[in-house]
Order: sequence, then C-alpha cells, then structure tokens
Amino acid sequence: METALALTALMKTFPSNRVVDGISLNVPKGCFYSLLGPSGCGKTTILRMIAGFAEPDSGEIILNGRRLNGLRPYERPVTTVFQSYALFPHLTAAQNIAFGLERAGEEPSAIPAKVSRMLELVGLQEKGDRFPASLSGGEKQRTALARALVVEPELLLLDEPLSALDPALRKRVRIELKQLQKRLGITFLFITHDQEEALTLSDQIAVMNKGKIEQIGSPREIYLAPATRFVAGFLGAVNWVDGIGVRPESTHISRQAPANGVRLIEALVETSVFLGDCFHVQTRTNAGVAITAQVDHDEEQYANGDRVHIWWHPRDELPVRE
Amino acid sequence: MNRLRTLFLAPAAGFTVVLFLIPLSIIIGYSFLTRGVYGGVAGPWTFENYQRLFDPLYGVILWRSVVMSTAATALCLLIAFPLALFIARADARWKNIYLYLVILPFWTSFLVRTYAWMFLLRDSGLINSILLSLKIVHEPLPLLYNETAVVVGLVYGYLPFAVLPLFSNLDRLDKNLLEAAADLGATPWQTIRHIVIPLCAPGLRAAGVLVFIPCLGAYLTPDLLGGGKSIMIGNLIQNQFTTARDWPFGSAISLALMALVMILLMALLRRDGEEAL
Repeated sequence: METALALTALMKTFPSNRVVDGISLNVPKGCFYSLLGPSGCGKTTILRMIAGFAEPDSGEIILNGRRLNGLRPYERPVTTVFQSYALFPHLTAAQNIAFGLERAGEEPSAIPAKVSRMLELVGLQEKGDRFPASLSGGEKQRTALARALVVEPELLLLDEPLSALDPALRKRVRIELKQLQKRLGITFLFITHDQEEALTLSDQIAVMNKGKIEQIGSPREIYLAPATRFVAGFLGAVNWVDGIGVRPESTHISRQAPANGVRLIEALVETSVFLGDCFHVQTRTNAGVAITAQVDHDEEQYANGDRVHIWWHPRDELPVRE
Repeated sequence: MNRLRTLFLAPAAGFTVVLFLIPLSIIIGYSFLTRGVYGGVAGPWTFENYQRLFDPLYGVILWRSVVMSTAATALCLLIAFPLALFIARADARWKNIYLYLVILPFWTSFLVRTYAWMFLLRDSGLINSILLSLKIVHEPLPLLYNETAVVVGLVYGYLPFAVLPLFSNLDRLDKNLLEAAADLGATPWQTIRHIVIPLCAPGLRAAGVLVFIPCLGAYLTPDLLGGGKSIMIGNLIQNQFTTARDWPFGSAISLALMALVMILLMALLRRDGEEAL
C-alpha cells in the first residue's frame, strides 16, 4: 500500500526529558491510523511536529514524498482537529468552515457551496449561522471536523477529539467518524489514550510508551498478540501467572477440575464484581497470585471463600516477548 | 450583611459626593450666571454662556481638539497594539518586567516629563543638536511649539493607557486559536487581521476611550509643547478661570466637554452591550 506519512527516527528533547525518542512509522494512504498511549508518552508532541507547531531535533517527516521539516504550519497540507476544538468564537459555524478555504485562495463564489456541502456531511445544515457559544459539545466537535476537512488536507490530525464529549455521545460520534473517514478516503492520524476508542476506530495502531513505539499492528494483532507486557496491560486487563498473561475473558472458573489439555490452578474466591454485561470473579491462588475470571450471568455464581479451579486454554495465552 | 455593604460603600460614596457631585453642582450653577466685574460670578441668571459656545472662534478650537485627540489616539493604538502583542506573547518571566517598564514613566510627574520633551524638541535641544553636529541639517528644525509637538506629547503621555487594556485582552486570547488559524493556512499577518484584531475589539475600544478622553481635556501638553499657539479646549477652559476671569463661560465649556465625552462613551458602551448579547 502506498505510504502517505513517513516518520523516520524522530527525536525531540525538552529541557528535562526526551519526549520523543526515535519514532519511525509509515501511515498508508487512506488509513485510519492511531497513536495510542498514556498521557506524557509523546504522542501529542509527534502530532505538533507533523502540524508544524514544534520542530524535531532530528529525524524526518515526509508526507506524500514531500519533506515537511522546517515548513511553517500554514505551508503544510495538514489540518488538525484540536482537543479543545479551537473554534473561532467571533465567527459562525459556516464562517469557521470557510476560514481555511479563504486562506487557500479559493474562488469566493465557490465557497458557500463547499461550506454547505460540508455542513450537510457532518449533519449541521441547520446550524451554519450559529456562533460556537450556542453550539453543543457534539456540534462544536463536528464543526471543528468540518473546518479541518473542507480544505481537503493530505493528512488530518485528530488530537483526542472525542475526549470532551460525554460517554454516550462519544460512542455514537465514534461510529460517524469512522464512516466519514471511509467515505472521504482521507488519511487520519488519531491521537488517543483510550484503548477502546483506538480498537474500534483504527485500521492500524501504534502503541507508545515513554517516547518509544512498543508495537505497531492492526487492532486484532495488538489486542490478541501484544508484543510487550506494557501493550498487553494497556489494551485490557491481564492476569499474570508466572510470566504468562491471560485476559479475564479467556480465564475460566469451575468447582470441578476440567478435562486435560488446559492450564489449571486452584484458588480461593475473594470477591465477585457485577459489571452489567458479566461478572468479574476475583480469586487468589495458594501462591498468593491474584487472578480475575469473567463469568456470564447464566453461569454458576461464586461466593467469597469458595474453593475453585481456575483454568484456560494454552492458545489463549498472550504471546508477550518479555 | 446590608450594614456591611453600606460600610464598604461609604468611603467611595463620601468621596464622590464631597469631591465630585458638590463641585459639579457649583459648576452647573456658575454656568447660568454672569461674570462679576472683578472676576467671580454675579447675577442675573442667563443662557448667554451656552449661546457663546456656538461662536465660530470656539468651534475652531473644539474641532482642533477633536482632530488632535483623534490623531493622538490613532497613533497610540498603532504603537500600543504591537507592543501589547509582544508583551502578551513573551515568557511569563519577562511579562511582568515589560509591564513595569510600561508604567515606569508614572513614577515621575507628568509636568517634569513634558518639560523633558521641551529639552528634546527645542531649537537648541538634543535632537536638533545631534542633527546639526552631524551636518544633516544646517539650521534647527522647528520641532517645538506646533501641533505635531502637541500630538507627540499626547501620544507619549497616554500610551500606557492604551497598552494596559490591550495587553489584558491579548493575554487572555486562547493561544489554540492562533495555532488553529495557522493550521488552516493563515499567515501570521492574516491571523492578526482575521482573528486577533476582531477578538481584541473590546480592548481596542477601551484603549481608545482611555486615551481619547484625557487627550480631549489636555491643557498642560498643548500649553507647554504647543507654545500657546495651537490651544485646545483644556487651555480655553483654563484661560477662562485665570487670565480671562470669566468663570461662568469656563463652567459652560467644561460642561459642554463633559456632555460630549458622555455621548461618546454611551455610544461605545451600547456597542459593547450589544456584542455581549
């Protein structure tokens, strides 16, 4: 697949710490690519260097064969959806969207049609003459998205654009965002610390920790085959037993010992936590290791102090290197 | 709670009544009286002082005051805006130092500072001496005692009043908006024109009012730097109370000036109010 964005050995050091420590990655054209990591892992700094708000100490940023290093932000064919949206408060939603077109020297007569098509695309056709102060959080987010997309950037940067929305809205907007990206075919580079968001939205995910990339892969790959303990733990809960990792949903529990061919440990039930769609039964082995097993509603229920068998299939063990 | 509120308001209320409302009432009263033979005021009550305001002679002075104040205000905003922008974008550590420098002139008397300008601008002053010794000019430039000197003096005197409100406006400006503008392809100039200036309109208006009003009433600067040739309303009022000894007419001009300023302020406040909606 053709590469849109290529980062090569990117480095950035701030006075007390190395924030970005040798990042190299390739974002294929038309891909929904996520940089996933905890806050302070350097993902926002990478985004700012691509947008041109910060310059790398060394390393290259190549977009569709063109070197972006040293170009001013307004010279780069890249736009950003900011975490705070950064909508211009003195301009209406439509004027906000028109801003980039006007700067790009678009024919004035062609602007209204492009703006209203964009408003329609994000479902804001009725709200074009509203000022940002009278838009809801979701409407602001969509205006910011429309404003960045209307100039048809070669790459769209999204800086945790869903983090300011309430959870129910966030899930809906997530689906819309994914559909929009597929329809427009624009390359998205999405920054998030929310693993569920990254897993549901992305074609490719680069998991970052302390300025370095831990693993790059499809959502399935990094969830089912995490390369490091950090990736395994960051993407979901893991039971660690003698250096082997198993997710709670692959960890089974029963009163009788199961058939052969499975890993088996005896344990004592400590608590059972209701999560809505299932229970998490927390147990402790004789060796003192805490193990959580997922139990469906229709399965047998367990009480504190029950002596149980914990088991899993070897194929469900996470193939973590370290 | 109510008693506490009264207590808190008392100093300001007392101050305003004794030192502002009472003198103002006296001035209003004077403006309807006749000039006394040896100065002061006497009967009978009359509207004559107000009719005299429409004499073309005074119209010229009023017009000159408005033009010079407008010029001084425009220059102040032109100088203050980039300066305020520079200070607002400076390191937090430097910001306070720069702001101190802006208000540093207030540490000495305005009179002393205006005299300093005379030493700079006069024929044997610093600027002319340098120009002459460098043989750039062969006779001193007429820098002092003209309208330009007055405008320069006004700009110098009231520049801090323009810098401070603009700074507070620019300092609060969301830096993300500037990045968003650049991100969407706006050059720094376009960002200033389309984002910074529109969002600074309240600061620009406040700065304009804070400079224009004292300029309009200025009398020290036109007196010293204008050499009494290009007098402004302030000088006219001063003359009525001193050499001309016509207190009733001086009072009428003072009130007319106040009315003018109030109309101007109300027009601006209404605009701000509309924008707040």
